Amino acid sequence: MKDSKLYQMLVFFIIWLVVGLLLGLAFKEQTRIRTAELPSARLPELARAYVQEKRSNAALEEEIRQLRQKINELENAFASGTKQAQVLSQSLQEAKMIAGLLDVEGPGIELILQDSKRKPQGDSPELLPELYTIHDYDLLRVVNELRQAGAEAISINGQRIVATTGIRCTGPVVFINDVKMASPFTVLAIGDPKTLKGALEMPGGALADLKSVDPKMVQLRVLDKVRIPAYSGSTQFRYAQPAPPQEVKQ
Amino acid sequence: MIAVGLIGLLLGVIIASIALDIPLPEEWAAYLSLAALAGLDTAFGGWRASLEGRFHPDVFISGFIVNALLAALLAYLGDRIGVDLFLAAVVTLGGRMFLNLSLIRRYYLNQFALRRQRG
Repeated sequence: MKDSKLYQMLVFFIIWLVVGLLLGLAFKEQTRIRTAELPSARLPELARAYVQEKRSNAALEEEIRQLRQKINELENAFASGTKQAQVLSQSLQEAKMIAGLLDVEGPGIELILQDSKRKPQGDSPELLPELYTIHDYDLLRVVNELRQAGAEAISINGQRIVATTGIRCTGPVVFINDVKMASPFTVLAIGDPKTLKGALEMPGGALADLKSVDPKMVQLRVLDKVRIPAYSGSTQFRYAQPAPPQEVKQ
Repeated sequence: MIAVGLIGLLLGVIIASIALDIPLPEEWAAYLSLAALAGLDTAFGGWRASLEGRFHPDVFISGFIVNALLAALLAYLGDRIGVDLFLAAVVTLGGRMFLNLSLIRRYYLNQFALRRQRG
């Protein structure tokens, strides 16, 4: 029985059957994993949702702009009333100026920072490709330097830098006020042009490192008139609220 | 004999893809694939052995089980100790499959040539 042709055939059949089962299971399992990990079928869906979100975002921003305008109009109407209201309105304008909620213009500088078109050559560790691109810390140093030099208003690619502004690299892009942007970065600042320029060009200062890598990454101009847009993001405070006055212990 | 094997293979794949629905953990998927590869290798070996008239069911069955288990075990061990040991199984099994297949091909070509001479 053991060496009979039929027995051999049976064994052969069973083994191939098991192999088929294993292959089929493995195939099914791999397919399941692939569809679970890479939702390629869902990509068009995601793209559509993304476009929709973007559109509604633009619409909401337009709404913010319109509402701001309305507030301005109402304030003006209110101010033209009593003397007291005029004083109030004036201090309100000042506060808005400080907060960066008004378009402003004045003398200042324009600084364009862009990724270098050159590629690092050689294997020296000093020639890291990171050195050839503009990063969040470059922008942070520039903003910090400008503020120190008395800049009264600063914007990067049209985004006003205010007290709550964050500047942060996320992959290849930089988020400023939660708006994505990439090189080139146009930094506008209003202040004493000479002081601003001098502060930025200080030896070992904010721009020195970039210039030493590739002078073309930095373009600095003094302008008689710079126009800087108002902050257009949300001004809602969700956590902080005015605190009652506190007695100071001496 | 071969026809029997192929029918078995086809039947197995069909059963697995239609009837069997075993929810396996994802970490097992790689081991399962490897076990399937080892099984395929043994099956090819059996095919070759049967052509050469040296087919022993005991060798065949034990080879199938041990190879499949060893391949899966090797992959598991490799995962644990951070060495891609499953590559060893893939290379060995893949190489042997090619070897067996070439011998099978040669056998049939010889057979064909013989028949033409006689005919």
